[in-house]
Amino acid sequence: MSAGKEFIKGVYKENPVFRLMLGLCPTLATSSSVNNAVGMGASVIFVLVCSNFIISLINRWVHPKIRIPIFIMIIATFVTIVDLVMAGFFPALHKSLGLFIPLIVVNCIILGRAEAFASKHGSIYSILDGLGMGFGFMLAIVIIATFREILGNGTWLGLSVLGKNYQPALLMILPPGAFLMIGILIGFFNWFEHRRTISRSSQT
Amino acid sequence: MKDIAQFAATLTLVALITAGSLAWVNKITKPKIVEQQKNELTEALSSVLPDCIDGSIVPVKENDHILYYLGYRDKEQTRLIGYAFLAEGRGYSSTIRTLVGMDTSCTIYAIKILSQQETPGLGSICEEVRSGETKPWWQAQFTGKTAKGIAVDKDKGEIVSITGATITSRAITNSIAESVNRLFEQPGSNDIDK
Repeated sequence: MSAGKEFIKGVYKENPVFRLMLGLCPTLATSSSVNNAVGMGASVIFVLVCSNFIISLINRWVHPKIRIPIFIMIIATFVTIVDLVMAGFFPALHKSLGLFIPLIVVNCIILGRAEAFASKHGSIYSILDGLGMGFGFMLAIVIIATFREILGNGTWLGLSVLGKNYQPALLMILPPGAFLMIGILIGFFNWFEHRRTISRSSQT
Repeated sequence: MKDIAQFAATLTLVALITAGSLAWVNKITKPKIVEQQKNELTEALSSVLPDCIDGSIVPVKENDHILYYLGYRDKEQTRLIGYAFLAEGRGYSSTIRTLVGMDTSCTIYAIKILSQQETPGLGSICEEVRSGETKPWWQAQFTGKTAKGIAVDKDKGEIVSITGATITSRAITNSIAESVNRLFEQPGSNDIDK
């Protein structure tokens, strides 16, 4: 097991959004602008790394029967920390992400990684797994937000991209736009993966 | 039986540690959050009472509870030009807090929604800013309207509701009308032109 591999798998091979189909709810909801997507991604990275680390440390003393409530308490603590710090230091971001920050608690990527990885591996690998998965999530949500913000608003990170004459496709920043974009991107990654498998098998 | 006691002990211990660390974080961030809210309120006040200069908006308090604000044109507080007050109404999925500024004859200068958590894409449009503009377009229509008895178009009023979010529109509009009525019942509000 190599450290680099644990990190990189979350970014592409086991990308939480495009490959594992985890955490789709916050992806749909907060990918309407790149600014929100980066804020959400950064919050998830922080919570995921911290919870993975703590859970990998305490796991040997936790009886399997009560592991879920303990995991949730730990995750909820870090989410509340993010919520408070954001309200205090980044009020504008806190206002636009609003309801979705507390909902990170039920983001299945975090509990999923705690269950599937952190509770079975050492601290260092758990941190790397958290970082990789977190970056994978952020990358995915930023890609989706890039398409949605440019098409739906003509801007990227608030800067005008397509000029004043562009008539924004409002659909793209509304909820259906998120479904369309995620569907197209998942389709693209599946097609890409499929092509790779075919070319690999034809070589042998 | 022994298991249950052990489980309870572990859970209690974890709960204590997590609650303790949260209390600590809360202690650090609390002053910052309070300061942010204060800044936000000051900014909102000057946006709903645009003709008042800095430091000429004075809160009227009763037992530390702010009832409304008086807005003056000058620092000496001699020329009263308007009032600002907070209106709270229950929307579709949240309590909507709106700050309203009006002149002495109850004509609204501007309103500003301080907080709402309405449905994104429907009720949240009350705070939407169109690209190329700086202020929320839906709130702009309140400017120049009479605050007394203000109502949405479905209630035969003049405020155009947000499509698909009548409950939100009505909650904000009615909360303003109710707050104005309550304002008249306050002691010391006799000078408001009825």
